[in-house]
Amino acid sequence: MKKSTNDQDFMYDGSTMKVVSFACIIIVLAVIFTGSISYFITRNAVVDKLKSRDLIYIIESAAAKIDGRIARAQETSLLLARDPVVNDWVLSGEQNEQLGKYAKYKLTDMVNSHDYVNSFIVSAVTGNYWDEEGRILQRVSPQNDMDSWFYETLKSNKAVSLNIDYNSGRDNTYVFLNALIGDLKHPLGIAGIGLSLADIAKEFTAYKFGESSALWLVDSKGKIHLADRVEQNGKYLNDFLPAAVAKQIITDTNSQQTQTQILEYVNAAGETVDLAYKATQSTDWKVVFQINRSESIAILKTIKINTAIASLIAVLMITLVFYLVSRRIADPFKRALLLTRKMEQQVKERTSELAESNKEIMDSIEYARLLQKSILPNSEELKDILGDYFLLWRPRDIVGGDFFWVKRVSKEKSLVAIVDCTGHGVPGAFMTMAVNTALKHIVEQNHTDPARILSELNLQMKQILHRNRQDSFGDDGLDIAICAIEGHSLLNFAGAKLSLYVRRGQEIHTIAGDHKSIGYKASPEALTFTTHSWDIEAGDQFYLITDGYLDQNGGEKNYSFGKKRFIAEILARKEEISRQGGQFESVLQNYMADEPQRDDITLLGFSIR
Amino acid sequence: MENLCIEQTKSTPTIQFDVANNKLRIAGQSYPENAFKFYEPIFNWLDQYMAEIDRETVLEIYFHMPYINTSSSKCIMMLLEKMENAYQEGRKVAIQWYYNREDESALECAEEFKEDLLLPFTIVVLDDE
Repeated sequence: MKKSTNDQDFMYDGSTMKVVSFACIIIVLAVIFTGSISYFITRNAVVDKLKSRDLIYIIESAAAKIDGRIARAQETSLLLARDPVVNDWVLSGEQNEQLGKYAKYKLTDMVNSHDYVNSFIVSAVTGNYWDEEGRILQRVSPQNDMDSWFYETLKSNKAVSLNIDYNSGRDNTYVFLNALIGDLKHPLGIAGIGLSLADIAKEFTAYKFGESSALWLVDSKGKIHLADRVEQNGKYLNDFLPAAVAKQIITDTNSQQTQTQILEYVNAAGETVDLAYKATQSTDWKVVFQINRSESIAILKTIKINTAIASLIAVLMITLVFYLVSRRIADPFKRALLLTRKMEQQVKERTSELAESNKEIMDSIEYARLLQKSILPNSEELKDILGDYFLLWRPRDIVGGDFFWVKRVSKEKSLVAIVDCTGHGVPGAFMTMAVNTALKHIVEQNHTDPARILSELNLQMKQILHRNRQDSFGDDGLDIAICAIEGHSLLNFAGAKLSLYVRRGQEIHTIAGDHKSIGYKASPEALTFTTHSWDIEAGDQFYLITDGYLDQNGGEKNYSFGKKRFIAEILARKEEISRQGGQFESVLQNYMADEPQRDDITLLGFSIR
Repeated sequence: MENLCIEQTKSTPTIQFDVANNKLRIAGQSYPENAFKFYEPIFNWLDQYMAEIDRETVLEIYFHMPYINTSSSKCIMMLLEKMENAYQEGRKVAIQWYYNREDESALECAEEFKEDLLLPFTIVVLDDE
C-alpha cells in the first residue's frame, strides 16, 4: 500500500511537470522563432538603409564638401584674374604704383579674409611671381622645370585650371586654382589661389562614424591624399583594401560622375565591410568611405540583447503562470486521490474488522459443528443398526437443521430416523439439539412405535417451542422419517412430510409419510400418524431423504432435482448400498453445477442384512 | 390504500399487489434466512386490504413460485389460510398457481397447498418456451 501511494505521488508530479515542461519548450521555441524573425527583418532593414541611404549620404556630402570648396576657390581665382585693375597692372608690367597697391592688397586679402593658404599673380609679361604678401617670390623661367606648370597653363586656353601639388616636406597636398588673366588666347599671366587639403581634413573627421570607419580622398593612382586619420595620408588604397577592391575603385573611370558606387567585401579578419565611393566633380579624385558591417548594425546588438532579456522574462513568467495554473488544475485531482486513499484505508480497516468478527463467528460456528456432530451417531453405531449403509449429510452451512438418529432399543429392535428442522445454520442446529433430546426422552418412555413416537414428538416440541410464543410470528417445527427395524424381517415406518423409498429389484416403492408437520403452532396437539409396515426381503434397499436433495435447483432450466429424478437415480445404482453415497453426491453435484446449495441435505441408504 | 410492491431478490419473490385491479401476484423463489421477517409486512398488508375492500370485490391471486423452502412454505400456507378464511366468509377469491411443465416439484408443492383449501385453486401449467 505504501508503495502504491508513492507511485501515485510520482505519477501525479511527473505528469504535471511533463505538461509544464512541454508548454515551456513550446513557448521558448515560439519566442526564439519570432525573436529571430524580427531580428533578421530589422537587420535587413538596417543594412538596406545603410547601403541605400547612409553610405550614399556620407559619401555625397563628403564629395560635395570637397567639390564645393574647390568650386568656391575656382570662383575666387576667376574673380582675381578678371579684376580689371589686376589686368591693367599686369599689362603695365607691374609699373603702375597705384594699380600695384590695389593688386597687392587683393592678394593679401585673399589669404587674410578667406581661408586660403596662398594667393598669387604670375605675369607673363615680366615673369614675376607675386605672392600673398605682395612680394615677388621668384621669377619664372621656361628653362626651370619647376615652372613648367605656368607655361602649360598659359597654353591651355582654359579660364581656370586645377593643379594639385603634394608637398612631402610639409606632408600636405595643395590644390592650386589657376585662372588666366586677360584674353584666353593671349593671356597676360595667371592669377590664382591655393588651398590646403588639411583644412578639409578637419571636416573629414566629422565623418568618423565608428572605430572601423574610414573616409579617404584618393587620386587616380589610388594614393590617399586625405584621410580622416592623418597618419594614413600619403598611403595607398592597396594598403587598406584587398587588391581587387582597390583596383576596382581606381580603375572605375567610366562610372557616372555623379553616381555613388556601393560594394561590400570580406576583409582579412573575416568581417563584412560595406564600402562606398564616388568621383568628385571638380577633380578626378574619388571619395571612399568604408565601415564594418558589425559596427553599422551595432544598434542591433542592443536590440538582440533586449529581445533576449524580454524573451527570458516572458518565458520565466509564463513558466510560473503555467506552474501555478497546473497546480490549481491538479489540486482537485490530488484531493480526489487523497480522498480515495483515505476511503480505501477506511474500507480496509472495516474489512479487517469485519474479517475479525467474521472469524470469531466462524470459529464459534466451527465449534458448534463439533457439538452438533457429537449428538450424531458414529459409523460403528450406524453399521451395527443398519448393516450396510451410506450416509450423505451435507449441511448448507457449517451446521444445519438436518440430522440423523439411531437407537438400539433391544437386541432385536432398533430405531433410525432422519430429521429436517426448519431453518438451517445455527438456528437449525439449535433445533436439532432439542429434537435429539426429545427423541431420547420419548424412547426412554418405552415408545417404540414410529407413529406413536411422532405424536409424542409433536407434543413435546410444541411444548418446548411455543410455551411463551403465542403472539409471536416465529413458528418452528420439523419434518421427520422414522423406521423401527425388528430383526431382519420387519420394518415399520412413519413419516411427517418425509417418505421412505424402498428398492426391491427394479421397483421402487414410495411409502409416503403423513402430510403433517411436527411442532408448528398450526400443528394440532393431538396429531396422529400412520405406521406403515414393510416385510423385509433379502436385497431390499431403503432410502430416507430430506427435501434438501430433492429441492436442489440446477440442470438446464434450473428446476428442482425432484422425486422422479431421484427415483431414477436409485434404479440406476448397480453397486452395493455401502458404495452408493459417492454416486448420489456426484450426481447432485453435476446437477447443481455452480448453483449454491439451497438447503441442508441428508440422504441415508441402508440394506438390513 | 397503496399498492404493495417488493422487488425480487435472489432468495425472495417479487410481490405485486395491485389495489386498483384487485390483483395480487407473487412470483419467484422463496428461501430467505428469516421467512417470517419477509412475509410479516405482507400479512399485515393483506389483513388491512381485506378489511378495506368491498365484500363483492373479485380478488385474483397469482402464484408462480418454483422453489419454496420449508419456513417460506409455512408463511405461504398462512397467506393461503387468510384467503381461505376470507372465502369462507363469502368473499370472491380465486387463486391461480402456475408451474413450469417439467418442474414436478413445483407441481407437487401446488398440489399439497391445494389439498387443504376449499377456495377456487387452479393449477396452470406453463409450457417452456
